[in-house]
Amino acid sequence: MSATLGEAPKLQSSIAEQVQSEIERAIRRNIKGLEYVASPAPAVGMTPKDVIYKRGTLNLYHYLPMADEIYRVPILIVMATSNRGYILDLAPGQSFVEFLLRSGYDVYLIDWSPPSPDERRLRFEDYTLDFIPECVRRVRKDSGVKDLTLMGYCMGGVLSVIYVALHPKTQPKNLVCFTTPIDFRAMELFAKWSDRRYFEVDRLVDTTGNVPAELIFTGFEMLRPASRLAGQVTLWENLGNDEFVKSYRMFERWSNDTLPLAGEYFRQTVKDLLWENSLYKGELTIGGKRADLRNITAPILHVVAEHDHIVPHAAARPLIEQVGSAEKEEIMLKGGHISLVAGANAQRRLWPRLDAWLGVRSI
Amino acid sequence: MAEGPSKDPSAAWRELVSQWEKNINALANQNMASDEFSSGSNQAMNLALRIQQGMASGMATYLATLNLPSRADITALGERLQAMEAYLSRIAVALEEPARGKSRTRGAPKRSRPPRTKQPPAPLP
Repeated sequence: MSATLGEAPKLQSSIAEQVQSEIERAIRRNIKGLEYVASPAPAVGMTPKDVIYKRGTLNLYHYLPMADEIYRVPILIVMATSNRGYILDLAPGQSFVEFLLRSGYDVYLIDWSPPSPDERRLRFEDYTLDFIPECVRRVRKDSGVKDLTLMGYCMGGVLSVIYVALHPKTQPKNLVCFTTPIDFRAMELFAKWSDRRYFEVDRLVDTTGNVPAELIFTGFEMLRPASRLAGQVTLWENLGNDEFVKSYRMFERWSNDTLPLAGEYFRQTVKDLLWENSLYKGELTIGGKRADLRNITAPILHVVAEHDHIVPHAAARPLIEQVGSAEKEEIMLKGGHISLVAGANAQRRLWPRLDAWLGVRSI
Repeated sequence: MAEGPSKDPSAAWRELVSQWEKNINALANQNMASDEFSSGSNQAMNLALRIQQGMASGMATYLATLNLPSRADITALGERLQAMEAYLSRIAVALEEPARGKSRTRGAPKRSRPPRTKQPPAPLP
């Protein structure tokens, strides 16, 4: 009984301390909140680079090496067409590109600008029979090395595998894909929303030309409608944590920076990939040639995310099942579609695994 | 000995937000996977597109009557200008290339690159 009486003042003082600490946090949060509103967005994509080729929506960068000696085989990264490439180069210390450079790789990246009105006619043919082959040619010429590792993220992975399937005689030395969908019917919500009974893709493309970025952004947001608000609540709670705020703002900026899609390319994506599921069925025809995944024979690594809400594992799994490569591997890592490649999760999980796989294949 | 429930109000709040997010997302995904949602949202979009098409067509007729260019005409002009600019830049690059080559041979340093001799680290024993 005396012990219980003795604990009462202690409990009171503990509650008082907690209340005081919460009030202090609230004040700090409000001050930081003002700083948040007043300060500019953090700079992204700052790793030094040369633009070695530009044509309309296409930009080919070469990042300046950061190691005293580099691997013989350069890397050409193909970014997803719906988003900016700086997700792979967020900030010093948090940049995938910087990690690759410091690990001794020679890095080239295909980044996309918003397509201009006259580029509304771009099709898969332009991306896989013109843009990527032209960039491959330029990387070979610039680096002086015939071999290269082709690396694609999301739809950049789709374009990369279609490109290799269409050019079986000039295989890359290695092919690396991140969260690359093949079975588009397994992307259930996208498949449902673009149901051919209701979705008039021809009317959309014929009216808008290029498909507006807002529509693409809304499509991604609707997959997790509560997450933006929950993210803002978490931000409010962590306003005192500068690192958290900086990271949040970089990701926020990137996810709001969605690109419009070329109209014909979008029409093909809906009709051929979502409606007919032709890449999965081996029936996709580009420029009169069939993009058969069995034509891919280069060593291939496919990294997928356990909690990917955009490209679920069922949509990504057939890539490794269908390619003709003797050396093929799929790795599933914890994380989501974006945290797989960027941020603290990627730094800890993906980057070292990728380096271990790719280093020995880059000599 | 089992630990009691956390007294940290922030932790409880975080857990609450996380649960709320999961539940709302799951519920919304369930509803958005229905035929009704797909049909309804697409009908709304198709209606908006029809209005947009109608407005564009009506406006084009009106502007043509006033002998003024429409947005499509301006876009087409912009495309032609861009094509001409691209063509001019290619000519400029082709003209500058020999001169650049000469200046390089006169001693302008070409950016040096590290040797491609790197070997992967030895595997751990």
